[in-house]
This record gives sequence, structure tokens and C-alpha cells, in this order.
Amino acid sequence: MADSEVVFRVSRYRPESGGRPTFQEYRIPYRSDMVVLDGLNYIKDHLDPTLTFRWSCRMGICGSCGADVNGRPRLTCGTYIRDMRKGAVTVEPLSNFPILKDLVVDFDDFLDKLASVRPYIVRKDWGDLSKEYTQYPEDVDAYRQQSLCINCMLCYAACPVFGASPEFVGPAASALALRYIRDTRDDGAAERLARLNTKTGIWECTFVGECSVVCPKEVDPAAAIQTLKFLATTRHMRRLLMPGSASR
Amino acid sequence: MTVHEYPARRRRVWWLRNRRYLAFQLREAGGVVCALYGLILLNMLIQLRDGESAYAAFLNLLRTPPMLYLNVVLFALVLWHALTWFMLIGKAQPIQFTREPLPWKVVFGINVLLWIGVSGAVVYLIFGGM
Ligand code: SF4
Ligand code: FES
Repeated sequence: MADSEVVFRVSRYRPESGGRPTFQEYRIPYRSDMVVLDGLNYIKDHLDPTLTFRWSCRMGICGSCGADVNGRPRLTCGTYIRDMRKGAVTVEPLSNFPILKDLVVDFDDFLDKLASVRPYIVRKDWGDLSKEYTQYPEDVDAYRQQSLCINCMLCYAACPVFGASPEFVGPAASALALRYIRDTRDDGAAERLARLNTKTGIWECTFVGECSVVCPKEVDPAAAIQTLKFLATTRHMRRLLMPGSASR
Repeated sequence: MTVHEYPARRRRVWWLRNRRYLAFQLREAGGVVCALYGLILLNMLIQLRDGESAYAAFLNLLRTPPMLYLNVVLFALVLWHALTWFMLIGKAQPIQFTREPLPWKVVFGINVLLWIGVSGAVVYLIFGGM
């Protein structure tokens, strides 16, 4: 049973009319077990069906419900209203992305960046596909952390470098590149590092570190980028000193 | 119907949005200040080359209160720059000496101790014989 009310200040952007996004306030019944996404759904179902936002799984898996909640990028399905500071809950679209409507941002650019690092197993030769490619638990441990990424893009919204230089490949794409580079079944390290070892790749990162703070899956993309810098540098040095050396 | 996409915008004064952003901006400012320190030291060498009176005048300038205050601020920023980088070393450990990554605080502590040791050695080398 609802015991009180909470005010939601939600950013609205109407693509038909253009203009600047504006805030609209809604009062909704509050229960202590509500997450921000419940509040948005209450608004959509009972107060204003025109409010537009993305969501799907409601359990921190699909990565689609990200928004800036009280100024910080969060998954709205994983953010309890009771944990917000007292007063209104302000919900805005993720920073640093173009807005399509209300809380829905355009992430085509992110998908292109993701594709550019080939986030899948690349092999020179697939050989006998009926054979198993064995991995030991420690092989999986090497990339488990980065493999937890759900492509929610909170890290991009938190990254001021991406905000200033949108061509920066960004945290999640880098973390996923490392995930596959560390996979013992993969042969694509050279291609990925060729993309990342550039001005718009990992070297754009100045280690602000906020991507790792906001990441809901503890992927730690900031650390992944520093590791990639190290890999790219050692690789470059090896090439200089020992031409024709191993690729990994 | 034309549909307008609202362009991506980085928030203005983003670095005041939380303490971590501000800490980062101060760390970057500390980098600029390190370069500034380098210029002051270079200038000191130039004054030294220009003779004793030029060098003494420069030292007197450095002793005036505005320069002292400025130096305190610059020194604080340089310290902040060094300390925050030491904090980051442990957060990104491309080389792992142990099976599990060491907690960043341990790496920070080791680096600070090394730093104090090396600084002590340098101070001893310069002033030890006095
Ligand atoms: S690295 Fe974390 S914050 Fe970034 S997209 Fe993946 S899960 Fe989301
Ligand atoms: S709705 Fe799927 S992560 Fe929030």
C-alpha cells in the first residue's frame, strides 16, 4: 500500500516540435520497495501515456533502462527511490548522447564503435568445428570481469572525455575488446589493437575513472583501458625490437 | 513530419557535478603546474648564468609574500597530482606480481614509501654534506 507521495521531475523532449528539453513534474504514490523504473511506469500507465523511455528485463540484464537519475547515470530498474536524496527524483536522458524523445537516446554511434573492435571470437582458422575448444577455469577468469558488460552505456554518459570528443571509442567498447583479446580461443588481438592504438582509441582516455564508478556490473572499464595501453605499448616495442615476434 | 534529434551536449561545468570530477580536474591542473615549476627552475638557471646580482634579485623576488603564497598553492597542486597518480597505479595493474591484484591502497602505500625514500636520498645528496 502506498504510504506517501514522491515527486518525479522528468525531462521531456518532443522531436516533432524541436526546441530544448523541458522538465515536467509528476506526483506518484510511493512505496519503499519502488525503483525509479516503477515510478516511470506508473506515470506511463496512470498519468501520461506520452512519456517515452526504454526498458525490458527489470533486473539489470538487458542494459536498456539507463538514465541520469539525480545527475548520475544509473539503471532505473536497479535504483531504489528510497536511496535517492530526499525530495524530487530527477530523471534525464543519459548525458553525452543525442536525444530522440524524452528519455530515449540515439545509440547508433555506440553500436558502430562496438562493432569496430569486433566483440566476438576471431580466428585465423576455424579448423575442425566439431572439436571442442577447451578452456580451463583460469582461462575464463582472465576475461570474466569484462564479459559482464551489458552495453548499458552508463560509462559513456559518465565520461567527460567522450562528451568533449565524441569520436573517442569509449569505455565499454574498449573493455569488450580486452575481453576478447584475453580469450585463449581468439586470434583477433592485432586487429583490435590496431583500432584502439590510435588518437580516437585508448589514448584519448585521461583516466577520469568515473566510468568504473557508475558501471553497474563492476566491469571496471577504466582499468581495462589502462591495460590496453600497456598491451599496445609493449606490442609496439616488441615490434620495434624484435620484428616478426608473436602477435598476442 | 520532420523529426528533430536533440544534439548531444556535455553538461557545462561538468567537473563540479561530483567530488571525483573535481579531484580529476585538480589533478590535471597539477600537471600544468608541474610544467610551470619547470619554467621557474629554468628561469633560475638563466638568472644564475647572468651573474650573482641577477640571481640574488630573483631569489629575493621568490621570497616576497605573493610569490610565497603562489608557491604554496602550486606546491599543493603538485602534491595532489603526485598522490592521485599513485592512487591510480593500483587501480590499473597491467602487470600483476601476485595471483590476485593487490588492493590499490597497498600499491599506493608502497609508492608513497618509495617516493619518500627517493626524495630523502635526493635531499641527502644535495644537503647531506653541509
Ligand atoms: S562497461 Fe559497465 S557501464 Fe559500461 S556499458 Fe558495460 S556494463 Fe554498462
Ligand atoms: S530494464 Fe533491463 S537493465 Fe534495467
